[in-house]
Amino acid sequence: MTAVIDVAALHKTYGDTVAVDDVSFTVEAGEIFGILGPNGAGKTTTVECVQGLRDADGGAMRVLGLDPATQAAELRQHIGSQLQDSALPGRMRVAEAVELFAAFARHPADTDELLARWRLDELRNHAFDSLSGGQRQRLFIALAFVNAPEVVFLDELTQGLDPQARRATWDLIHEIRDGGTTVVLVTHFMDEAEQLCDRLAVVDRGRVIAIDTPQGLIDGVGLSSVVRFTATERDLSWLERIDAVESISRRGEAVEIRGTGPVLALVASELVAHGIVPLDLRVERPTVEDAFLQLTGRTVRE
Amino acid sequence: MSSRELHGYVAMSRAELRLFRREPFSIVFVLAFPLMMMMLLAAVFGNDPESADDIENGMLIWRGVTPADYYTAASVAAVIAALGLLTLPVNLAGYRERGILRRMRASSVPAWVVVAAQLTLAVITFLAGALVMAVVARFGYDATMPDDVIGVVVALLVGALAFGSIGLLLAALVRGSRAAQGIGLMLFFSLWLISGTAPPRAVLPSTVRDIGGLLPLSHLVTAIQDPWFGAGWSFDHLAALVAYAIGAGIPALYFFRWD
Repeated sequence: MTAVIDVAALHKTYGDTVAVDDVSFTVEAGEIFGILGPNGAGKTTTVECVQGLRDADGGAMRVLGLDPATQAAELRQHIGSQLQDSALPGRMRVAEAVELFAAFARHPADTDELLARWRLDELRNHAFDSLSGGQRQRLFIALAFVNAPEVVFLDELTQGLDPQARRATWDLIHEIRDGGTTVVLVTHFMDEAEQLCDRLAVVDRGRVIAIDTPQGLIDGVGLSSVVRFTATERDLSWLERIDAVESISRRGEAVEIRGTGPVLALVASELVAHGIVPLDLRVERPTVEDAFLQLTGRTVRE
Repeated sequence: MSSRELHGYVAMSRAELRLFRREPFSIVFVLAFPLMMMMLLAAVFGNDPESADDIENGMLIWRGVTPADYYTAASVAAVIAALGLLTLPVNLAGYRERGILRRMRASSVPAWVVVAAQLTLAVITFLAGALVMAVVARFGYDATMPDDVIGVVVALLVGALAFGSIGLLLAALVRGSRAAQGIGLMLFFSLWLISGTAPPRAVLPSTVRDIGGLLPLSHLVTAIQDPWFGAGWSFDHLAALVAYAIGAGIPALYFFRWD
């Protein structure tokens, strides 16, 4: 794997406010790299500096071997950007927008193919103002791909979308990665980060507090899983002999076991060995959200 | 400026023209308002050749032509001022406010293309407006057409440059499109009233006339009227307009903001 993005000690202040405080990370070719954090954590400022859309106050950056601070124009020919809070003229039509921006690309993608790929075919002659939130996001993704980029930056892609449109957008992001493009995904949605990202940088108050795979983050904070089932057996104390089990509590027939690692498999095999085969045996594994709360010690502000 | 950027500029200008055609309100204000003012002023003050010799404050009120002729040339200048002071800054500030400039920048659109496409749109709208006005004036009340066409065209181009630069500076300095609209309307109507585009400058109190005489619109009115009425090129007024173009244009480029 080769690093396509290398950021070291990136720093950015607005007046007295430190927006980005010594942020460092690398993004490997072909991965979906997430930047996860609450609103105002400095995520957007970070990726805007990396895209050469904003000047950093300190630190070193390399994106596809180029320096965003001094080679922004060259860099923008190789990256695709879906920006937060951007728009098109209200009366500009979908196909017109794609064709217009293709005119500025050194290696423009085929506009008909782009429209078809992002399911904008039917909307060719629709004005930007008349598009729904999901349709606009599809158009912005198509625009991000108009220069056949090697890396795309997607900033809060699913903000304001209904659940169906969100799921559809997630499928699109998987499609992007399957097409070989590296994706940098900025989001404050924990489930989105967990579902989509190969690796995640957790950002809070301008600092990176952890970088790992979603599972690595969860394992790293050592939160326990909860196994639940119902059983009529009175005595289940033999379950406590399993190493992975930390505690057992009962409320009537409902049993709740806290534990770590492969606790479900171990508990299940022991239950079967004792002739107990509950139909409702299930496990609640900690999520990225749990890990995030553990790491930051507070909830995400909406 | 690569050939790709040039191709992009053509594409952007065509897109802007299409958008303008789809925006009924901007057409009304930019094209219909000055046309209506020209017709009303010509109707109010008439086309009587004897008025050409009217004198006030020791000056020829109508600069030696009929009131209708006077206002035909002056109203063409007013269109340029409206485009520069209103349309251009309102469009650009609106683009910035709504994140359209951010979107363009991220797609490798150079700043000069954004600005040049807006100026191109302004010039094309102006040409359309001026043509309509000339036809209406010619066939409506038999107005005198330019004596020195080249002199008038040069004055129009220099005026477009000056008001284009002022519009870009306004766009760079104001925050949003509402502010641009408010400031633009205030500037446009102030200039319109004291620059000889509404009351002739001869009837203005001397202080107002002197202040107006320093401002770009009265330079433009005279620079257009002189060759139009056969009084030759007015190089001092053209020079003043060039000074405005440079004085506003350089800071406008310096202060240009994408977001």
